[in-house]
Amino acid sequence: MPSYTLNVNSQSHTVTVSSAEMPLLWVLRDVLNLTGTKYGCGIEVCGACTVMVNGQPEKSCDMNVSSAVGKSIVTIEGLSKDRSHPAQQAWIVNQVPQCGYCQSGMLMSVACAMKAGHHGSSIASEVKNLCVCGTYPRIKTAIAAL
Amino acid sequence: MNTSITVDRRKFLGISATGLTIGFAIIGMAPLDDAHAADSTTVNSWLTIGSDNSITLTVGPSEMGQGSRSGVAQIMAEDLMVDFSRIAVVQGAPSLSSTAIGTAIVAGGSSIIRNNYWKFRNAAAVARETLVQAAMNRLQDNNRSSFSVKDGVISHSSGKTLSYGDVAADAARLTPPASAPLVPDAELKVIGKSLPRQDIPPKVDGSAKYGLDARLPGMVFAVIKHCPTFGGTLAATPGVPAGALALVPVNVGAALGRGADLAGNVNAVAVVAGTTWDAMQAARQLTVKWTLPANAAQWSTAQFTAQAQALAANATPYVAGGANPPGTLYTVESVGNAKDGVNKPAPGAKLVDASYLLPYVAHACMEVLNCTVDYVPGVRCTIYAPTQVANAALARVLLLTGLTADKVTFNTTLLGGGLGRKLEIDFISQAVQVAIALQRPVQLVWPREEDFTHDQYRPMGLVRIKSALDAAGNITAWTCRNVSPSIRAQRGSVLGATGDSQGYEAAQGLPYAFGSRLTEWVSHPSPIPVGYWRSVGASINTFAVESMMDELAFAAGVDPVQFRRSRLAGDTRWLAVLDAAASLGNWGSPVASGTAKGIAIGSAFNSICAAVVEVSGTSAASFTVKRVSVVIDAYLTLNPGNVEAQLTGGVVHGLNAALYGQQTFVNGVAQRRNFNTNRMMRLSEMPQVSVGIMPRPARSDSTKPIGGVGELGVPTVAPALANAVFRLSKQRVRTLPFFPNATMGD
Repeated sequence: MPSYTLNVNSQSHTVTVSSAEMPLLWVLRDVLNLTGTKYGCGIEVCGACTVMVNGQPEKSCDMNVSSAVGKSIVTIEGLSKDRSHPAQQAWIVNQVPQCGYCQSGMLMSVACAMKAGHHGSSIASEVKNLCVCGTYPRIKTAIAAL
Repeated sequence: MNTSITVDRRKFLGISATGLTIGFAIIGMAPLDDAHAADSTTVNSWLTIGSDNSITLTVGPSEMGQGSRSGVAQIMAEDLMVDFSRIAVVQGAPSLSSTAIGTAIVAGGSSIIRNNYWKFRNAAAVARETLVQAAMNRLQDNNRSSFSVKDGVISHSSGKTLSYGDVAADAARLTPPASAPLVPDAELKVIGKSLPRQDIPPKVDGSAKYGLDARLPGMVFAVIKHCPTFGGTLAATPGVPAGALALVPVNVGAALGRGADLAGNVNAVAVVAGTTWDAMQAARQLTVKWTLPANAAQWSTAQFTAQAQALAANATPYVAGGANPPGTLYTVESVGNAKDGVNKPAPGAKLVDASYLLPYVAHACMEVLNCTVDYVPGVRCTIYAPTQVANAALARVLLLTGLTADKVTFNTTLLGGGLGRKLEIDFISQAVQVAIALQRPVQLVWPREEDFTHDQYRPMGLVRIKSALDAAGNITAWTCRNVSPSIRAQRGSVLGATGDSQGYEAAQGLPYAFGSRLTEWVSHPSPIPVGYWRSVGASINTFAVESMMDELAFAAGVDPVQFRRSRLAGDTRWLAVLDAAASLGNWGSPVASGTAKGIAIGSAFNSICAAVVEVSGTSAASFTVKRVSVVIDAYLTLNPGNVEAQLTGGVVHGLNAALYGQQTFVNGVAQRRNFNTNRMMRLSEMPQVSVGIMPRPARSDSTKPIGGVGELGVPTVAPALANAVFRLSKQRVRTLPFFPNATMGD
């Protein structure tokens, strides 16, 4: 079984997995127990598994563990130490989450858009994550101030 | 007030403080809750005021995004007279006995707040007065008016103060009163405020724990692989596939009381591996031989629709004491001779006859079904489950393991959406079966494809309404026949003379002035498993009724709001909600070219809700939803901000279903397997939503029914949308969804 060294939330982890093709999502969740990143569809549609890889949004359900080696991976657990990222703050102030399950991926998409230089409503066009609870209006309000 | 209050001196799980514990009864939802959880006297909830000034509420309903866990803390903060953020809410554990510690209550039917608002308030007031009595004893002044309470501190006229924690141990030795004065309406400080929900901060940093996030030492992962065809069974047990640790055949543990026709059938295998992905890969490569039901070739969407059409035209009436098989016609209500009214209309009358067809729809909760079980034979079983029905799930665990309840620890996790799907316990039963076979901790996961293809769907419904209008535009006769599979009959209930109330809810007892009316329901014999889908029957019937009201308004040449107004004479609440929605949606003000509005109103769970939808576009095949204005009258409003969130969420749920939602079947196999073919709205598609809340009465009355909120946004959106599209295009859409072939890439 192959081993890989990953940089997740600024920490180095060596993982042994069954295959080089194992998606990063399941390495995070089932090997590293970083369960903040969510499984939603497994086919890159819903965005619940979105993480930041070298500053870019990546759907971790379709990113092979081997291709994540040597890259900086940030998950929702590493977005801030204390919910202080401006998007997290805006999510609390605007009372965005309902069930909350999609919001890890939603916040990572927003954080990536901010990192890419988007502000306010221009973030919205970068966010394609699904929210079945329908929190979209509050998401719009929350990102308008970012 | 029907309530039951005790001081409880047991030690409670997760509460370290000693102090005063007030036990009280809240009620669940019949018939989903078993009898003791649904009665109003069995103590099942506890408020603990610790000597360390902690305040803990142990209460049963699970949190699936509806906000009721935070909501109950908000109610109790009022009469306890403490800051709401001080009340920590602990998820109660299930129980099957009226004497054991147990707090699980069904989270469904938009029921938690509406059924228990006054019970929570009274228990908090009782706790407060018991603490004050302890302070009176301590200070040896039995004059209550010498004492006042603010922010959990009891002040005496002498200037002395005692915190709740200071007197909590003394209070625990007192006998609490059965009831205590509530904060008067005019002095409410907490109830009615848009307070921030307590459950939100952990949902922005990944620390909130859902069922799928349970992790136990030495745990393995299993994924389910069902027979793709409903009713199919395992023909031969396959060998353990490469990459897997084990393969476990599992029974249809099935739903709450689902009929004996399915029980005992092995219709799935669980494939076990070291990670979810390894299990998924092994399951994908596994070929399983199934025995298919003989008539599966007839189980296709087209056949189900043809059957419904035949039953809408001709069905055998219910006979008291008879067999009344699926396909039976039940008379729900009959006033006057409506049949003659529509079949032999008076000269000059207009007859409108229309059939509305709604499909099966999947729940598609963001968190797929899953359950984690640690079972040690004969010793103990620990469960982590995202469930709306922990009591029923516990009963299944005891049945499967043979353990007594004291050996089972049942942890209800957060739910990544419930929407009614997690009222079923099939996935919990399967996980326990796998754990029994493995005898090591295991998490069972339904891959998304299994979640879509083995749902217990919102039933399909064919609703035919015939109505006669006289020359003055009065509705002289109304007949409505709903043909849909019965949720209750599939669970083994014997239906009475009026059939399954969830089939005809929101079609019966309408407040409109109909000269004569006949409401009927026919049980459709479809074998597709059906279940409770946010707003249940109201999501079907309100579409039909409110589409027909719009068709009648058009036939009468009357504005749709005015048409409804003049037929709602005397029903002041419906009229007020209709008017408020029309006002919020700027009904009547000129609309831009290429845009149009539609309206609909309905009632569910004791609340009334109306929606105005504005669309722009060119036809029923090409339009955009621009705005939705929705107004609710729930009698009392606890947290307006959360009401807005829930109604907006309901609007999205209703739009997703109306625009795109359906599950189709070919030869008993569900066809839509993932979000790519089950489109849902994304952020860019979201219309502007405005929510209006009817003001709470100046003086609230505990005898008046409080309405639900969580499901109310759903039913009126689809008809308001269809009515808007009709005004836009003159194309009347009577079959949902609007865009049956839409995919996620569009």
